[in-house]
Amino acid sequence: MPWLENTWLRKLLHWRRMSQRVLSINQRNLEFIYRYNPRRFYKTADNKIVTKKLLAEHGVPVPLSYFVIESFYQINSVAEKLQDLHDFVLKPAQGSGGGGIVVITRRDNHGWYSASGKCWSLQELQRHVADIVFGTHSFDMGDQAIFEERLSPAPLLEKLSPWGLADLRIIVLEHKPVMAMCRLPTKTSGGRANLHQGAVGVGIDMKTGRSTHAIHASQPISLHPDHGENLIDLALPFWQECLQIAQRCGEILPLKYLGVDLAITAAGPKVLEVNARPGLAIQLANDNGLRPALFAAMQAGVDA
Amino acid sequence: MNRSRLAYIALIILMLAVPAGFLYYKLYVVRLPLQSLIPDVSYKIETQLEVDGYGNDISIATFIPKNDSRQRIFDEQNNAGVFSLEIASAGLNRIARWQADGVNGHQYLSYSYNVRASHVRYEVSPELTIPEHYPSEFDVYLRAADGIQVNDPLIENVLYQRLHLPQHEVLKVLPTLQAIHTYLQTQLENRNFSGFTDAVTAIKLGEASCNGKSRAFVALARKLNLPARLVGGLVMTPGSKRTSHQWVEVFIAGHWVPFDTINNHFAELPANYLALYYGDEVLFKHGSNVNFRYAFSTYKRLIPRNEVSEALGDSWLNSVNIYAVFEQVGISQNLLKILLMLPLGALVTVVFRNVIGLETFGTFLPALIASAARETGLFWGLVSFLGIVIIASWARRFLDWLQLLHSPKMAIMLTIVVILMLVMTVAGVRLGLFDLAHVSLFPIAILAITAERFALTEIEQGSKKVWHMTIMTLIVISAAFVVMDSLFLQTLIMALPEMLLVVIALNLWLGKWVGLRLVEFVRFRKLIFGREV
Repeated sequence: MPWLENTWLRKLLHWRRMSQRVLSINQRNLEFIYRYNPRRFYKTADNKIVTKKLLAEHGVPVPLSYFVIESFYQINSVAEKLQDLHDFVLKPAQGSGGGGIVVITRRDNHGWYSASGKCWSLQELQRHVADIVFGTHSFDMGDQAIFEERLSPAPLLEKLSPWGLADLRIIVLEHKPVMAMCRLPTKTSGGRANLHQGAVGVGIDMKTGRSTHAIHASQPISLHPDHGENLIDLALPFWQECLQIAQRCGEILPLKYLGVDLAITAAGPKVLEVNARPGLAIQLANDNGLRPALFAAMQAGVDA
Repeated sequence: MNRSRLAYIALIILMLAVPAGFLYYKLYVVRLPLQSLIPDVSYKIETQLEVDGYGNDISIATFIPKNDSRQRIFDEQNNAGVFSLEIASAGLNRIARWQADGVNGHQYLSYSYNVRASHVRYEVSPELTIPEHYPSEFDVYLRAADGIQVNDPLIENVLYQRLHLPQHEVLKVLPTLQAIHTYLQTQLENRNFSGFTDAVTAIKLGEASCNGKSRAFVALARKLNLPARLVGGLVMTPGSKRTSHQWVEVFIAGHWVPFDTINNHFAELPANYLALYYGDEVLFKHGSNVNFRYAFSTYKRLIPRNEVSEALGDSWLNSVNIYAVFEQVGISQNLLKILLMLPLGALVTVVFRNVIGLETFGTFLPALIASAARETGLFWGLVSFLGIVIIASWARRFLDWLQLLHSPKMAIMLTIVVILMLVMTVAGVRLGLFDLAHVSLFPIAILAITAERFALTEIEQGSKKVWHMTIMTLIVISAAFVVMDSLFLQTLIMALPEMLLVVIALNLWLGKWVGLRLVEFVRFRKLIFGREV
């Protein structure tokens, strides 16, 4: 057909094809979150204590909880419970975007030192716990403060991300992993693994577990913006375990469209949290739209 | 297909079929004229007068327009301060006279009215001849007057030497007037000055302003036994000006037919001409030493036609009759109109949020703020929205610092907003910003809700985000305002309220629309546009 020769028309058709690969907010909400994640199950994902308990019961590795502070009258017991702890992570059970997390790496006579080098007195830690319980980091009337083990990342991730814990986000649809990215905190992100706050996103090939593409502040990069390490074609450790754990999460949790966040430690992957409304930036990190993979996963579900 | 999907499609069909049925009924059974939905143009004219008094008595008079078959005057308003107004009839004209004793200082007067005028055009039969006799009351339109030198030899000279009209035979009206009109239109140059020019001077100079040309026209017509008169008025174009206009009317076969040689209107008058007075008059009369100044401000506006409700008459579908029921229980038409337009504003917001991808405070808030802005105008609406948001943000920070519980904190914010609106109203009156002062109960409630919404968003999502959303909300408010303020859509919804079901149908469709939002095309541009074909 001669009209197909028209380059503008061909371009338009090409763009249309390309745009059809991208998952939009509207489609994510309507066809994935509303369909696969009934609202009544949100609290399972939104509260890390509930998620961890459920996953741990089914044998999925999660960070070890030391203790949980649930109300103001328990705050005084923090002093006693911290006696034997030299390093730990303090986080709100319902926080989001990495807010309110304190990572303690060592202690001496003066107090506890966080990853950034700041010294916390017992009173300061207790005040932070009180803030968490009050709901400062979780727009809610109340929350719980979790004290859990500090994870030591696998050497590769330790090297790439000395300013905070890198994590691996895997999107799971009906217990089939569909897309993955590694999130590396940077100096600008303040140690948080959140792309909006300036973390680096690294797209991962689902078959091989090797990095394919990376972005920082929505721009493609191949070297880490802080230390200049190469980010492309690196093999993630424990890749098969990561996929299996993500799949197990999809099987155990009542939510069927999930973002599973894993920390890859030297001893293997552990689930940090799950997200019932995973964001769309993973498409930019992978330089690829989510829709073909999502529809392949749905098709596989029908065939099975 | 599952049941939810089936219900969805059935609902859309229903929401389209019901209004279509009503529309069919109204168009073909009741015969509602469709063009009556298109709003009419009207003008608001404000005559602004200024004088300086030095303890003397001041009297100012001017002509104000009358209703006739071509123009309709309504909503007349007098704002004259110390002056008392008296309106009197003088022959064909209406005269407004303001008077005050012992006036001191600089004084403003204003007289405003709305005008709806139509375009007229007369067809003059080419066979019509100039009559020999008229009733005696036409004598005044046939004889010479100051500045209209009918019997000057120059007038005769123009008619028979320059225009070559045949002498001593019965002239036909149409070709005669065509000759006069063309001569004045082409041979006399238009000049734009305000002084008095008589007919003979205008012809001698070969140039004239509107009054000189009009007097020349009248003189030439009267010489040929055609009754003619001057008309003074305004050409209504939006803006402020000091120039009035003059044209002429010639009595032909029982009608006063208009001619304007300055703007070349032959036997017709456009819809933006306003007649103020008939005869060779001076527009303003005032005593000396009052430092008199004047200006005409013209605003163009659209108003709904009456034909819609007239056409539907007593039919049970006449929404105007239904609205009368609301008025009996104290709900004004204006409030009803706002209520009926709200769904359209919400639809605009939905399009901006889900199709374009702008984040706003809530779905209804932009539409509500836009409807609140109806009373203040868009500019002051946006200004008060921004003002409230900024004050609310400061107030919240302060109250946060005091560490209060949420609900009492919000009650304090509401109180602050109410006080602020009262202050704005008083300040508006004092500063003469009457638009700003038009803040009523309804907008106060809406802006109070906005304040709470803003505070909550700021707490939950941070300052940077909340200001981004504020700017996006401003954009959506403006868009919603434009749509909700559209007179065409207002007339449409008032006449055909069943169109709200179409709004539901559109929302149902948008509710399942999964395409990329416009901002997502930008966000994912590398994935979409960054690849080779």
